[in-house]
Amino acid sequence: MRRDVVVGRFHQEPMVIDAVHAVRSCGLRIADVYSPYPIHRLDEAMAIARSRLPLVALAGGVGGLIAALALELYTSVIDWPLNVGGKPDASLLAFIPIAFELTILGAGLATAAGLLIRSRLAPFGAAPVVDRSATDDTFAVVVHCRDSAIDRRLVEQLLLNYGAMSVESRGLPR
Amino acid sequence: MIAWSAPAADRHAEPPSRRRTRWIDGDPTLRDITDDVMRPLTSRPGAAWWAAFAVAASALAIGAASVTYEVTTGIGTWGLNKTVGWAFDITNFVFWVGIGHAGTLISAILLLLRQQWRTAISRSAEAMTIFAVMCAAMFPLIHMGRPWLAFWVLPYPNSRGPLWVNFRSPLLWDVFAINTYLTISLVFWYVGMIPDFATLRDRAQSPLRRFAYSMLSLGWDGSARTWSRYETASTLLAGLATPLVISVHTIVSMDFATSVLPGWHATIFPPYFVAGAVFSGFAMVLTLLIIVRRVMRLERYITLRHLDAMAKIMLLTGSIVGLAYATEFYNAWYGHNVYERAVFLNRVTGPYAWGFWIMVGCNACAPQLLWIRRLRRNVPILFALSIAVNVGMWFERFIIIVTSLHRSFLPSTWTMYRPSMIEVGTLIGSFGLFFTCFLLFVRLLPMIAMWEVKALAGHRDEATR
Amino acid sequence: MAEPLTFWRERPEADTSRRDFLTRIGFTLAASALAGCSRGPVQQAIPFLNKPEEITPGVASWYATTCGGCSSACALLAKTRDGRPIKIEGNAESRLFGGGTCAAGQATVLSLYDPDRARGPVWRGNATTWEAIDKEIQPRLTAAAERRVVLLSGTITSPSTRALIAEWSSRFPHFSHIVYDAVSFSGLREATRRVFGVAAVPHFRFDEANTIVGLDADFLGTWLSPVEFTRQYAGRRRRALDQDRVRHHHFEAGVSLTGSNADRRILMPPSAHGATALALLRQIAARAGVAIDGLALDATVDNNAIAVAADDLWRDRGHSLVVSGSNEPSVQVIVHAINGVLGNVGTTVDLDAPSLQKQGDDAAVAALVDDMERGDVHALLVYGANPVYDYREASRFVRAMESVALTVSFADRVDETAAHCHAVCPDHHFLEAWGDAEPVAGSFSLAQPTIAPLFDTRAVQDSLLVWLGRAPGFYGYIRETWRRDRFPRQTRYQSFDEFWDHSLHDGVFETRPAPVAPSRSPERLALPTDAWRAAASEIERGSRDAANRSSTEYELHLYETVALGDGRHANNPWLQELPDPVSKITWGNFVAVSAAAAGRLGVESGDVLRVSSGDRVVELPAFVQPGQSSDTVSIARGYGRERAGRVGTGVGANAVRFAAARVVTLAKTGRQQALAATQTHHSVEGRPIVRTLTRDQLRQHDAAVEAPLATLYPPREGGQHHWAMAVDLNACTGCSACVTACQAENNVPVVGADEVRRGREMHWIRVDRYYGGTDAQLTTAVQPMMCQHCENAPCETVCPVLATVHSSDGINQQVYNRCVGTRYCENNCPYKVRRFNWFQYAGNERFDYTLTDPLERMVLNPDVVVRARGVMEKCSLCVQRIQTEKLAARREDRPLADGRIQTACGQSCPADAIVFGDLNDPNSRVAKLRAGRRHYTVLEELGTRPNVGYLMRVVDDEREQTPHTETRL
Repeated sequence: MRRDVVVGRFHQEPMVIDAVHAVRSCGLRIADVYSPYPIHRLDEAMAIARSRLPLVALAGGVGGLIAALALELYTSVIDWPLNVGGKPDASLLAFIPIAFELTILGAGLATAAGLLIRSRLAPFGAAPVVDRSATDDTFAVVVHCRDSAIDRRLVEQLLLNYGAMSVESRGLPR
Repeated sequence: MIAWSAPAADRHAEPPSRRRTRWIDGDPTLRDITDDVMRPLTSRPGAAWWAAFAVAASALAIGAASVTYEVTTGIGTWGLNKTVGWAFDITNFVFWVGIGHAGTLISAILLLLRQQWRTAISRSAEAMTIFAVMCAAMFPLIHMGRPWLAFWVLPYPNSRGPLWVNFRSPLLWDVFAINTYLTISLVFWYVGMIPDFATLRDRAQSPLRRFAYSMLSLGWDGSARTWSRYETASTLLAGLATPLVISVHTIVSMDFATSVLPGWHATIFPPYFVAGAVFSGFAMVLTLLIIVRRVMRLERYITLRHLDAMAKIMLLTGSIVGLAYATEFYNAWYGHNVYERAVFLNRVTGPYAWGFWIMVGCNACAPQLLWIRRLRRNVPILFALSIAVNVGMWFERFIIIVTSLHRSFLPSTWTMYRPSMIEVGTLIGSFGLFFTCFLLFVRLLPMIAMWEVKALAGHRDEATR
Repeated sequence: MAEPLTFWRERPEADTSRRDFLTRIGFTLAASALAGCSRGPVQQAIPFLNKPEEITPGVASWYATTCGGCSSACALLAKTRDGRPIKIEGNAESRLFGGGTCAAGQATVLSLYDPDRARGPVWRGNATTWEAIDKEIQPRLTAAAERRVVLLSGTITSPSTRALIAEWSSRFPHFSHIVYDAVSFSGLREATRRVFGVAAVPHFRFDEANTIVGLDADFLGTWLSPVEFTRQYAGRRRRALDQDRVRHHHFEAGVSLTGSNADRRILMPPSAHGATALALLRQIAARAGVAIDGLALDATVDNNAIAVAADDLWRDRGHSLVVSGSNEPSVQVIVHAINGVLGNVGTTVDLDAPSLQKQGDDAAVAALVDDMERGDVHALLVYGANPVYDYREASRFVRAMESVALTVSFADRVDETAAHCHAVCPDHHFLEAWGDAEPVAGSFSLAQPTIAPLFDTRAVQDSLLVWLGRAPGFYGYIRETWRRDRFPRQTRYQSFDEFWDHSLHDGVFETRPAPVAPSRSPERLALPTDAWRAAASEIERGSRDAANRSSTEYELHLYETVALGDGRHANNPWLQELPDPVSKITWGNFVAVSAAAAGRLGVESGDVLRVSSGDRVVELPAFVQPGQSSDTVSIARGYGRERAGRVGTGVGANAVRFAAARVVTLAKTGRQQALAATQTHHSVEGRPIVRTLTRDQLRQHDAAVEAPLATLYPPREGGQHHWAMAVDLNACTGCSACVTACQAENNVPVVGADEVRRGREMHWIRVDRYYGGTDAQLTTAVQPMMCQHCENAPCETVCPVLATVHSSDGINQQVYNRCVGTRYCENNCPYKVRRFNWFQYAGNERFDYTLTDPLERMVLNPDVVVRARGVMEKCSLCVQRIQTEKLAARREDRPLADGRIQTACGQSCPADAIVFGDLNDPNSRVAKLRAGRRHYTVLEELGTRPNVGYLMRVVDDEREQTPHTETRL
């Protein structure tokens, strides 16, 4: 296996941020950062693009709304108009609650689905185990580097300077 | 060029705006948090848990027996009659739906409001929501004369054609509202647990657990990109759950508000019911957490300040509910409607007045004690109050339903309602179901959102660095 | 769920096999064919392989007959489906009864299928055959030689049967026929004999009376001929609407149906009955200028009220009527005198064509018991009577029977009397038998079989013929008597067969003897006769005895209930569950006490009281009855049957034991027994639900009729028809015949006392009853309440599965098989008229009343499904009847005439208070009524726009007649 990444393990959030800044300022590419909880400032530090999930949610919501109104109007106006309490066939006011509920349902399910699909989350999905403790108390910064020994050593040194508990060079698991 | 020197501290100085009050006692490391939260899952259950589980399970058994008898014999096994068509059944339904609402409120609304203190309790509150909604959903099912035909309330294409459902009926609104609510709550709850499942997966000893958790954790790896997307998703879900939770109890209140019955036909019901739901929900959360933090030794994460905050919300919603009671009576008096007046007079002085006064005492009066800070941080008092509010809110629904029904328009139809043992058994059973589920939850799932608490702790490091 | 025709299911213990069923099918041919020709053998079975002309499966055939439910002998039509009678309706051809019936009449069809009926002849406790039992009985009768053979019967209105009995008298020198009425009018007959010389019950004409004064005579509920009287009474009120006024003063101790309808109800303890009559006579006589000498005014009576009544009577003299329910000849003599002085004899008191509905002779019965004890009676035949249950000295009667060599009962079951008889020769049910009746002289009706005898029974008349040594065949006998006595009295038909066919088809043949004329000149009647003086002094003595009563004692007032009457229908579940029109209590009798007495005794409704008089004791729950005379307790007779059957045995307690007693003592037992009441709140709470109108208001024709309420909804286009109903509260007396009629028509289940206590009775129509005023001046209002079929129905909106929706012709429809039973509709119904199937009532041993026993299931109406557990049900406006008539009209290609469709309730109503019709037809009766000044809909401010409306009751004086002006009770 080609040894093309350096993994630095940190135990404190702030050092991670600094390390990431430093690494990127050296023009090195950050493969990824694995952390037990979300670190907000990592987004700009790693320049992660804003998620487009809101659009997915919107689409789901609109879909739910249309489906609800279509169902209500088709069943009670077109397919089976009945005199119910003398009310009009299209009692739109009475149709609002269900339309609203289905809107929410559509949006919610779309959001969840979007998240899972986009992040490739699925039962037994193999987690690239950089470090088991990354889901516990360790922040693992993974840095790409050219395949030349000197750079690798420089990167390891850099991470150590920025407070890494340990560094290790290895190939990313496929 | 590359900076060789270690970074200077000042670069990490917190902007004052990001300083937070401390919602964790002591100074646990991230690993401590993992250990603390996972302790109940790894250690063997203690005597207290077994005792509680035995009680809950036998209550559930009583409920199962009652429901079986009722479904096989007929609704006649209840105390209902030609005039009072609903009583315990729908009372319990509304009661449990109400309980559920606090969970969503804590996890969703407080998330939007960036209330840090929710982190420690949100998980168990959401669990409570789901179990409560399960209990609630049971009642519309078993209250039907022919529950085996319950699927007829769903609009599915069929060969009896055209044969659809009545979208004008509040009961149908309920069907959609409750199912949506249950679904979204489950999704929200599960998504929130994925990172913790991953933690469990990575620390699991037994292969069985590893198998289970790796299935549940969906291959979560804690990558920054995933986290980023994940947070967007949870904010979205929170944003959706918030209007949902309000709409659900609004619709439940419309079961009554849209009827013609004096005592039900009231425009203030939606806000009145939502406030009541939050009120009763927080009471139930308090009841549970006060026990759990003790038994599970989690005082460190569920602090007095948490209890205090919840107490404040109870005070607010309780006062709203009290105001709603007053408004109802004002309307009845000011409205000059003979039927409306009779119903409310009957509530205060009639055969069920005792229930009315329990309701007023527990819901409107008792919570006013919480103006006093000392009481808000006095655990026994809070516990007693939370129980009182649970009782009071159950009676509120009972009074609204029964006193409006048993003496309505035509005096010739006036009757009295007396619950049968079967109904009482069913109520006990619903509590059995609820607590059985909750007790299993605290043993099988991390009852505190580890990653959220760790985030707090992490920021805390930062803040105190 | 629809299982209307399963009654022929083979069941080992059931007596109705498919073969029997076919037998009956076949018989229906026979029955209808018989109308014309001589009677064919009944037993022949004609399967549908060769279908009889007269029967189409699924189409009802109707047979005119005469009610055997009581001695009023109303003319009926029996509706049969596929060979089994399923519904009783009044025969509109009858001049006396119109189309009305009473609740008991409606229920007789269920008694036909009563599983507790005797299945065949019984000799000394063992089932036997008719041949065998005839061999036993006949020689014994003829061997009677020197000793008496007595036929003890209830009133027999059948002229042919009376003719047959006359033959017996001539055949057996020592034979005698004694008539015994459990509720006797012997006193009235005797009084009529003393005053007018003939022992008869006059035929009363309430329709001719502008002022009516009733002395404890429940003529709208149970007295003599309630259906006929209700019809007359309501008709008179209707005629009087906005012109002249009709006044009804009622003096009574307990609250009767009649008293609750009176304009003025005055409390009168039984002991004051005679004195009241006397005081009334005095007042009338004073106005007539007739001197009544030597009698001081009696202080125990309400002289003011009597004076008011006297004024009204005198104003309407000649067209007023005083009736008394007393069985004391002396009292009835005074009442005759009053009517005489008022000149009512010949107008409202008809003696030329007297009533034959009560022929009992108490003196003869008493004498018979003595003779029996002395052993002078050799054979006793009991027919249509149950003295061991209801004779005032029952135990003595039983002992007396022991010294009779041969006792034979013709009862339809082994009842209390039959149990003490050597032989039981069960009679047919009247729907299985030929017969005729003459309820009022000159008014005849016929009865024909509508089904082959279900059991091995034999008509009484056939038994009598056989024992006379003649061939059975009462059918021929009737034809002969009619050929001999009736045929000559008409000129319309030349041949007897023609006459017979038409009479049988119409069911009635009515002649009028002579034009109405008083049989005594008013002058002579106006003078005090010796008869009055004797009666007066008798009464004076009586009331003096009544005066001395200890403080712990209460006067006893025995009465009949509308449902159970004298108790012969005790085994009929429909009647047991019929809410009493006054107390609204079902399943049992009770001790009605005044609030004052209840306070004194420290009891409330439901506390069990020990009622005792001498060694006779019964225990019954108390019921605090508003308007009850303070020192009088009322107890219904007809309950406490010991051998009625599985439904009626042991329901309530037998109060007839006290018939001899004047006063009883009450003691609290401390036990509780909840009353099975269908209405527990008695005040209308000042709500404008039952509305009234004074005559003055009614006269103001310009009075504005409320404009229809505004609605937000766009109008929906209606269908070809718009069905609607108008209920006339001015005519309705609350008799509750509609309740049982609806129950029979719509297969409404009976649920039993416990379920009624839980508030779960299933009746689709109920009669709400509200009290107002005070005990002394009780005001009552009744209101039949069924589904109002709202145009904007709250129930429809809330049903999640569209199980209740609105038809294009204005009916609120309930779709049973779609209903999932959320009961939301019930909750949202402002009228609370919806009924839920709390249990599986059909085919459930726990509810073994009408829907479980395969025999009783034969009464089910195949046009109406039997509802299953867990579904909601309610009034359908008899949609099956609507459909039948619509189809008939279409088939015959004619417009659907107004009045062709009658709902079951409307058809049965003797007061004609319920009118059904099509609002799209502006000339329909209902359309006209709805347009009228008196029309209103209940709770119209809710905007439900009901299609069932009400016509306000018209009153003379708001204060004295409308409950919701006073809500003290």
